[in-house]
Amino acid sequence: MIKLQKIVEPCKRIEGNGNIKILLRGEHIDHVEFEIPEIRGFENILVNKKTQDIPRIVSRICGLCHASQAIACNKTIENIYGISPPTQSIILRRILLIGELIKSHAMHYFFQSFPDLLKIINFQKISNPYELMQFDPHLTSSTFDLIKLGSEIDKIFGGRYVHLINIIPGGVIYNPSQININLARKLLQKGSSNAKYLIENFIKLFSTKTPPSSFELPKINYLGLSNQGSYDRYSGNIVIKNYKNQLNFYEKDYQSYFDKEVGVFGVNFAKNDDMGLITGPIARENINKISATERNISYFRMMSEDWRKSILYQNFLELIEIDYEIHNCLKLLNENSLDEHYNLPELREIQKSDGIGILEAPRGLLMHHYKVNQNEIMIQAKLFIATEINIPLMNFMTSNYAHNLHKNEAVDKVKKKIVQMIRAFDPCISCASH
Amino acid sequence: MTSCSGCISTLFSLDIFPQFFEKTKIAYFPFIAEEEKLENCDIALIEGCISQESQIRLIQKIRKIAKKVYSLGSCAAFGGIINLSKKKRGDPISNYIEVDGIIPGCPPPSNLFGNFLMAILENRMFKLSNKNQCYSCPLRESIDYEFKTKITKLVPNNKEINSSQNQKCFLSQGVLCLGPLTREGCENKCIIKGMPCEGCLGSPSKSLFSNICNFLSQLNLSNELKTYEGIFYRYSKPTIKR
Repeated sequence: MIKLQKIVEPCKRIEGNGNIKILLRGEHIDHVEFEIPEIRGFENILVNKKTQDIPRIVSRICGLCHASQAIACNKTIENIYGISPPTQSIILRRILLIGELIKSHAMHYFFQSFPDLLKIINFQKISNPYELMQFDPHLTSSTFDLIKLGSEIDKIFGGRYVHLINIIPGGVIYNPSQININLARKLLQKGSSNAKYLIENFIKLFSTKTPPSSFELPKINYLGLSNQGSYDRYSGNIVIKNYKNQLNFYEKDYQSYFDKEVGVFGVNFAKNDDMGLITGPIARENINKISATERNISYFRMMSEDWRKSILYQNFLELIEIDYEIHNCLKLLNENSLDEHYNLPELREIQKSDGIGILEAPRGLLMHHYKVNQNEIMIQAKLFIATEINIPLMNFMTSNYAHNLHKNEAVDKVKKKIVQMIRAFDPCISCASH
Repeated sequence: MTSCSGCISTLFSLDIFPQFFEKTKIAYFPFIAEEEKLENCDIALIEGCISQESQIRLIQKIRKIAKKVYSLGSCAAFGGIINLSKKKRGDPISNYIEVDGIIPGCPPPSNLFGNFLMAILENRMFKLSNKNQCYSCPLRESIDYEFKTKITKLVPNNKEINSSQNQKCFLSQGVLCLGPLTREGCENKCIIKGMPCEGCLGSPSKSLFSNICNFLSQLNLSNELKTYEGIFYRYSKPTIKR
């Protein structure tokens, strides 16, 4: 039996520390794996912690998806206590999720994916962030403004840029001044023109070209949330959809469809087809059709079917989501209930020992499942993370890509190219290494 | 190193970030650049704690090529939240190399971080305050220096939050606030927003352990909280075995 030889290369320009592991059988590439060198053990850290203390710890799983992690945690705890936050808190949570998404998508698109798109689609090489800034100063300033917009929204409504203070079980402690709310509106209005510029720039640069066939997604299952058929990242049913079937189920029934072992990397799906599974912007579009909204319909018409089938389409969808969520946020800021005073419900007695909280983080479905004892102490935490869900498909596609590339190119060149595909998936290592 | 990337995320959020980006030349920043070689540089900001052997070699190399090395965030400065785990340990950078300073916080407070970057750009010295949170706390007038109230809670309950028109010192409400043990520098953001200090900025003096002993000797802490793990060393590697 031939022993597999391992080549490990750290991935650059991704969120966190991840490696590409190429396994060689003799001269040939056997397969490629994305490797996360270390699991930090948050599922273990949370055990023996009090329910009110948990959200402050959970936020620290990820500095990019901190709002999603904290809100999913709070929803889980509310589920255990049988309480619902007031309308105002739900609006605020939605706003905080929007701020996080704008920043996360803008950072990924500009620093991590855009140089790859230029190289893959237009054969232009950008070697460092300074060349990137010089390539299109307007694009640079628009992206920096969007990053700032996302950050400021979270600071105004959550208390600071990262690891927000106000999000607690029962709701959101709310005290922004009217001046700050008006500032958020102004920033959002400016953000709308920045998002428009980025989308139109994408269309101008790339829409008439065809993405490489190696980046084409196989027949696939899409996993995400859907609120009665509409795009909603805060609440809804879980949907698993492919080209012929669609499953809808409540989060409480998730174990009939997927599960995981505590402290072990990966999510196991019980589906009986051999198709891969993806969550995130591509799944959200395919489940809920962001493309059908009046504002975005003309942009989508510019993108060919080849683009829609490609994992690189995720980059276009990130920009569309930024634009969509900016307008969504402007609407939320006009909600009357934002100005009213609401009391947050008290956490009196736990109603059940199990709780589940679910939402759509920037990179896809995020679910927390906790078990607590009668003393309100955590006894088990299971965290279902979007990147963990996407990694099997990422490994499948990068392995195929590597096989094709290796027919003509040396392994050293192959590893540099497959990183581009990994970046298109936008893995979040901080979340995945929880 | 090992982190949540929250310090990097904060860096990108700062008002000064575009200016800082333009006025410096990035030598190595895997999050946004592909440079593979570590080359001589003036300043190194290291975020995250040390939890793997390979990271020790990397920071030793960084120490050799950088004129100044700073620990960015509480993971790099004190070991960080990973130390709440019973199975894993995260070391501060300073356990392996000499550092020229720290920018503490989880995340580092934006003003503190921004002022630090300004100081770097202008080649000025940057000093952290050696006073505690209570020194600048907006609730300091209601501090009960005799600590008579029994401390039973980690956070205020929602009933207290709902009626927090006239907010009082958390310690006099029976809520554990680590402000007395913690360096000021965050503009008391958590306290102003209605949550007690968790101590992420670290101790204003070198001996957190003796400060904790002193604090505990004065505090009337409930039995439940006495046995609750991960209160005082939430953002730092314990110097004694728990």
